[in-house]
Amino acid sequence: MYKISRIAAVISTLLPVVAMAQSIEGVVINSDGKAIAGATVRVDGENTQTITDSKGRFIFNKLSTGINEIHISAANYAHLHQDIMLADDKVKTLTLSLSRSPIEVVDIVGTPIHMSIMESASPVSVLAGEALRRQQASTLGDSLEKLPGVNTNFHGNVASTPIIRGLSGPRVLIAQNGLDVSDVSRVGPDHSVASEASTAQQIEVLRGPATLFYGSGAIGGVVNVVDGRVPTDNTTQGEWLLEGNSADEQKLGSFNLTTGMDSFAFYADGYYRESSDYEVPIAPELGHDEENGAHDFVVENSSEKSDGITLGASYLFDEGYFGVAVEQFNREYGIPGHSHSEEEEDHDHDEEEEESVFADLEQTRVQLLGEYNFAGKVVNKVNFRGGFTEYEHAEIENGETGTLFENETQELKVDIHHNPFSEWNGGLSLHYKRSEVAAQGEEAFTPPSETQTIALAMMEEKHFGEVLFQLGARIERVTLEANNLLLPTLEAHDHDEEEHEHEHDHEEDEVETSTTRVFAVKHQFTPVSLSAGLVWDFTPGYNLGISISRSERAPSASELMSFGPHIGTSSYEVGALFALHEDDGDTHIDLTDENTDIETANNIDLTLRKTQGDLGFVFNTFYNQVDNYYYQTDTGLFAESGHDHGEEDVHDHEEESDEHTDELPVYIFKTDDVILHGFEAQLAWQASDEFKAAVFSDYVRARLKDGGDLPRTPPMRFGTQFSYENERLSAHLDITRYQKQDRVAAQETQTNGYTLVDASISYDLPLFNQDMAIYLKGSNLTDTEARVHSSFIKDIAPRPGRSFALGIRGYF
Amino acid sequence: MLKPFPLNLLAVTISALMLTACGDAETTIIEKDPIEETDDDHDDHDHVYDSYTIESMGRLAVLSAESADLTVFDLDDNDALDTFALVHESNALSVSADYRFAVISSRAQDYVGFIDGGFWREDHGEHLHDYKQAPVMSDYELAASRPTHVIKHDGQMAIFYDGDAESGIPASVQVLSDTDISNQTSVLPTLDYTMNMHGVAKPRGEYLLSTVRRDDAESTSTAKILPDQVGVYHLHDDEYELEQVLEINCPDLHGAAQNSEYVVFGCSDGVLVANQHDEEYEAEKIANIDILDGLRIGTLYAHKESESFISIASGHGGGPAILLSVNPEENEMEALEWQPDASPVAYAFSHDGAHFLVLDDAGYLNILSAHEHDGHMHWELESQLDITEEDVATMPEGMSFSMTVAQNGHYVYVADPIAQHVLQIHLEDKEIEGDIELDFAPEAITWLGVAEEEHNH
Repeated sequence: MYKISRIAAVISTLLPVVAMAQSIEGVVINSDGKAIAGATVRVDGENTQTITDSKGRFIFNKLSTGINEIHISAANYAHLHQDIMLADDKVKTLTLSLSRSPIEVVDIVGTPIHMSIMESASPVSVLAGEALRRQQASTLGDSLEKLPGVNTNFHGNVASTPIIRGLSGPRVLIAQNGLDVSDVSRVGPDHSVASEASTAQQIEVLRGPATLFYGSGAIGGVVNVVDGRVPTDNTTQGEWLLEGNSADEQKLGSFNLTTGMDSFAFYADGYYRESSDYEVPIAPELGHDEENGAHDFVVENSSEKSDGITLGASYLFDEGYFGVAVEQFNREYGIPGHSHSEEEEDHDHDEEEEESVFADLEQTRVQLLGEYNFAGKVVNKVNFRGGFTEYEHAEIENGETGTLFENETQELKVDIHHNPFSEWNGGLSLHYKRSEVAAQGEEAFTPPSETQTIALAMMEEKHFGEVLFQLGARIERVTLEANNLLLPTLEAHDHDEEEHEHEHDHEEDEVETSTTRVFAVKHQFTPVSLSAGLVWDFTPGYNLGISISRSERAPSASELMSFGPHIGTSSYEVGALFALHEDDGDTHIDLTDENTDIETANNIDLTLRKTQGDLGFVFNTFYNQVDNYYYQTDTGLFAESGHDHGEEDVHDHEEESDEHTDELPVYIFKTDDVILHGFEAQLAWQASDEFKAAVFSDYVRARLKDGGDLPRTPPMRFGTQFSYENERLSAHLDITRYQKQDRVAAQETQTNGYTLVDASISYDLPLFNQDMAIYLKGSNLTDTEARVHSSFIKDIAPRPGRSFALGIRGYF
Repeated sequence: MLKPFPLNLLAVTISALMLTACGDAETTIIEKDPIEETDDDHDDHDHVYDSYTIESMGRLAVLSAESADLTVFDLDDNDALDTFALVHESNALSVSADYRFAVISSRAQDYVGFIDGGFWREDHGEHLHDYKQAPVMSDYELAASRPTHVIKHDGQMAIFYDGDAESGIPASVQVLSDTDISNQTSVLPTLDYTMNMHGVAKPRGEYLLSTVRRDDAESTSTAKILPDQVGVYHLHDDEYELEQVLEINCPDLHGAAQNSEYVVFGCSDGVLVANQHDEEYEAEKIANIDILDGLRIGTLYAHKESESFISIASGHGGGPAILLSVNPEENEMEALEWQPDASPVAYAFSHDGAHFLVLDDAGYLNILSAHEHDGHMHWELESQLDITEEDVATMPEGMSFSMTVAQNGHYVYVADPIAQHVLQIHLEDKEIEGDIELDFAPEAITWLGVAEEEHNH
């Protein structure tokens, strides 16, 4: 529980002050007439926010005349919007009543227009507070996977990233405080996201196209990790946590602290985590059914060590704030499945021992955030976000750097909010981003490139009686340049070929010269996104949301320019700038004759909600047709990994396929039209003040328009969540069923379903004038074999077995 | 199978413009010169090693004494590949740890720059992969006060920046590999001092043995700018932290060398020897012998195959030089039987460590070789090669002969500013086998390419 009594005490001392000019005095109560303490009351369009005291009271002074829209939010209650008309020098006294909402409503902070799970046309979810602490994991994907519509691509506990409605990679943007996280997690499933949940305040998920707010990379959705690194007030408060976990011997410590004096506010957070290879209930490799109860199975090379520290400071003034924060993020983790043991083969070379590969990533992030509220006629608020990040990620084999990934990004976002104009609220957003990305070394499958984005977006909303309209448009200019796009002479070949032109007895010392063609490439894309939505409160306590959008995305450098082995996906990746050409029966890869086009998503979302009462629900259904969807197809060819162990490309092809372990299948990017559709459903019932029960389900079907399924699409899921919370004790039991996935792409195998049971219990210990809680979490309590269909390494790295975590955390 | 692509050296421009209902996309592709790479088209299991490697003599970087230019030659055909205009007027030439880059340092301008020789090797795990490309000027630069000593050992290069007493800039050391240069690594492992000094640093993996200058009141050095202690520094997150100071002082420390076991430093009273035992370094001092008679060892040479170090003792500012052999194993220092008649201008170990070369100002290359007598190594003059037909008295002011040893065979290259050429000398045959004509007087030369280990398989 966040400590609010001290804040409330400060506020209540302000109450007796005689209100000057126009003011509002109010009290917030629930439907039983009891005061709600700790509710946040905000006046939209003003930099004014307060929290109700223990008697539910609040006061605002110096408001402008005319209509003031106030917005009240409190944990476990539905949000309330109310327009209040103020006359000159009048004090308005109000009683505002909040209705219960068993589905927790937390506002999104990362978008310029107001959004929450219950109030926006397009679907969003927020993980915050206790729920975030309960679900936080070492990776972002695993932290968010219990949210409806969000799955993890579970990469052996070390590098999982979120999948939103079946989409991930370059289609899901990961942001930190609204700015691109700027790592290389979008180009490889084995690349960890450079963001940490344990120090975050809330994590916001926008499901479905969100290019309007975030640009090209957000066509499938956005995950925005929000923390208070640039503090907006200087009240001293903080949070700390210590936890140990059994399955991977994880040790975690984290803290965050905000303080300040006068006009200055300071912030610090930090965390340290270390874990060993994690235990699994069965032999990690699929098909190795060893009967050996005596020893524990672990997923080799899945250990992790990370730490981070963030320091921030800001200057607070009457009209807003401006601040800067610097973060250093370090992480070292093993990459399961990225090791080169060769158990069945017998080579005459002398490196028989297993080489394990680990990644060492480091990021320095500087963020500048600010807000300025004007008393101007046109503009009433400007939000400023600037970021500079330097990211480096080395994949280390045998103590040497195999591949070095680098990303240097500068970004600037300015949101300008205008005063209501015939009751339209909204503003303009200007966005500039420049990223230089390079991968050098063995896995240099994408040449160094520079991407620049300049965008202008507009978002507006207006209430027409019971209907809220939201409109948005964005135009972007994306330039993508690479000076050295490489086209090597790839010796791809078909394993079914009968004949060999290979000459086995050529001269020993013969050295031949091959040619790598080099191109300078420049792409310029102009994606345009349009969106319209409405939320209709058709009857009290319910609403219906409809959102229609057309979103465009510029393809990423890796989708266009790749050419090389990508060990993370165990494939030889070739970008869409290239294509297979056939001449006289010979297949070779050359520049494509096709035009490079942008991807377009046409999406419709329908949402039905019950927002108030002891029973609440949110049902979403969506249909998304994506034209020119970039995806990889198997060419049936194989190429040397360039990473090999003595076997070169001469084979007796009649032999069993084990011989080809040094070769990778060649996948080439192409475009086709794709249809995604599915639903998310959440229903929660507050049975008593203490007891709550919820069920949820989600499903996505991802298929090619002309037939065929997309790979690694999460299966249908449903689950229940029971919770019991009283003053001191809170207990949760989550049961989630993952169905079998049998809609698979070519070359992909089916994955069995499984049921995960997780439980947690937490007990508050009010000690040393702090709110402290001790907690015990159990996950996968039935110790079941759980293989994640959306994982690239599902056959070698199932989910961890039964595990218990014991921890203590405090708030002050 | 492999189809040769038509190579059009003229740029081919493919341009496409596409307009859709809303957005548009435009792509411009310009073909550039291709990269030629050796590759085996089809090989079998027995010659994995050879198939990706390139047989080559290597390359030679020649710094002009007349202008701020550096020319790179191809030693296979002795053709000039390219000439690069250097940033500053006064330059020193050395070579990167794996011989890929020519290292240009301008002490007075606080500048270190790099020219990629274009011929290098990558270890691709199961095979070694050579690349041969045109030499290029790297835009990677290092800037710190007074880069003075550039030293390399086992894949690492340490640059010692002396710092500047006048402007109060302290000394520092940066350690880098060829990969760091090619990746343009922004943050290098660095040792930052609090005082300036004329020091030296020796990289050994995660460790760095580097000199320590104490407060003038404490220092045992006569010239206080010279350090008098050696510290053992250990790398933590790109910074070297002092873990140990060797117990024995080394007054007026100047010059250092290392082989696989020992690191030695020249002191006014002898040679300080550091030797690693487990995590700790132990120090010993081999005292000066009588023959030195007031001179001190200020320059040391080592080869990893050679147990003994060759040390040069001379007075400050030239004069007679005494060559000594220092053997830390036997804790012994002795003068070589052969001592130079003329003034030496360059010294070097041969690639295999079997020879020690002394180039003198009279135009002779003196080739010494090690012989074992009763389990004790002696260095003897094996041959004296006359390397110039010119009158050495006509050597222009400020210039001298210079040499560089190829790291892939038995060749040494000697540059002659009078004749304006570089001679290629085979050390086993003791013969001049070729020459490279220059149209300028060379100031310094260095060999670039892929160093070959002696084959032991």
